[in-house]
Amino acid sequence: MTIDRTLAISTRIILQVTRDRRSLALIIVAPVLVMSLVGFSFADRREILDLVAPGLIGTFVLFFVFLLTGVSFLRERAQGTIERLLTTPVGRADILVGYLLGFLLFAGIQAVVILLYTVFALQIQYKGSLAHVFVLLALVTLVAVNLGIFISTFARNEFQVVQFIPVVLMPQIFLSGAVLPFEQLPGYFQAVGRFLPLTYAVQGLKGLMSEGKGLAGIGWELAALAGFALLLLFLAALTVRRT
Amino acid sequence: MKTATRVFEAEQVEFSYGPLRVLRGLTLAVEKSEIFGILGANGAGKTTLLRMPVGLLKPASGSIRVFGAKPSAQCNARIGYMPQQSALYQELSARQNVDFFARMYGLARVAARRAAVDRALDWVELGRRQDDPLNRLSGGMRQRVSLAVALVHAPELLILDEPTVGLDPELRATFWGNFSEMAAAGTTLIISSHTMDDAAHCHRLAFIRDGRTVALGTPAELRAGAGGDGPTLEDAFLHFARRGDRP
Repeated sequence: MTIDRTLAISTRIILQVTRDRRSLALIIVAPVLVMSLVGFSFADRREILDLVAPGLIGTFVLFFVFLLTGVSFLRERAQGTIERLLTTPVGRADILVGYLLGFLLFAGIQAVVILLYTVFALQIQYKGSLAHVFVLLALVTLVAVNLGIFISTFARNEFQVVQFIPVVLMPQIFLSGAVLPFEQLPGYFQAVGRFLPLTYAVQGLKGLMSEGKGLAGIGWELAALAGFALLLLFLAALTVRRT
Repeated sequence: MKTATRVFEAEQVEFSYGPLRVLRGLTLAVEKSEIFGILGANGAGKTTLLRMPVGLLKPASGSIRVFGAKPSAQCNARIGYMPQQSALYQELSARQNVDFFARMYGLARVAARRAAVDRALDWVELGRRQDDPLNRLSGGMRQRVSLAVALVHAPELLILDEPTVGLDPELRATFWGNFSEMAAAGTTLIISSHTMDDAAHCHRLAFIRDGRTVALGTPAELRAGAGGDGPTLEDAFLHFARRGDRP
């Protein structure tokens, strides 16, 4: 891996996205719109919003970042630019880390927008430190970016990537404890949920924001998310096909 | 017999896309400093063959060798590849595209890279449009940017898949003049085409049909091999295509 190639790839991605003003605006506006909708839905039941907000923050970060990365990477494949990159001496690690860094910037912006809007505009009650929440969301973002790159290798067009949303994200939303408390799920659903990254994101966020724990108190969730991020990065590296 | 100056070699190469057999025992070799034309109708297997030396496709059987070795990332540093579709970043300018690929080819130093990018953009005569985003350029201009990307690192082997499509006659003549100069300076060029105008500029040609080499030689040899009274290259191509064997 060479630093110049990796940086060239990430700065090129940043340049491309910033040139596309509409996409840039949507990266910020779309999460705000969705979170506003959620906020208005629970306008008369603030206590329920406080309860579900940590799970929703994790879910929306995973959702939007996965979508951003999956579609962007797929577009590169469809336009043949990934293939053209592979005709140069560039290595797989250069490509993956370069894309990771490029997407992370925008994914990070989305995560921050979702968190700050939920906390300050929707004014949910929370305990614990926002800085700790940022740390956990950074890991969720990493998982989502790698998941997006990995899943995009199985799609041939944008339509197929979108079809992966119900397959990849919906089970996570229902089995992670984001909708119903994880402990109240049937045992077999809990067993499946333990293999899904969103479960650890939701449990970690609830620990930080609802129970007032610190990072040390959610060490297992942080370790699990880091493990998922590494596993998905490894899988993405295996599936960056040369054709 | 293999020679030290052999840059590219395909031997008994077979390749299929699912049930469709595209290359059927294709054999040819390209020597250093020559302009080698690969001619054939659409679907003859030209693009499939040209994707192999840069490692985008692997033969199902037979062998592909570039600079005497199997295709690899190290070999790719010595090759410039221009695909049929430009495959560039539409939101970026021509200069940004060429600069980005220069970095991919390992031109990390800013001053050297700027000089290489200037040279490549001058070569394709993009002029004042080099700072325009690609999505505002015509198809022919994008083709020129794609060519600039392929030659920015001064490769020893230049593989061009139908490089003259969409170019006006004047620019096409300029390009062929430049290709000849590059070959004279030691660069090897492999160029696919389905037009006989392009074929006439090549030092040697391979006519490909149904994934096989049906004729191989200089333009003069191929015309002579086709017999008749002063046949054109087109006549020769049709002759060998119908006969389906070597001259």
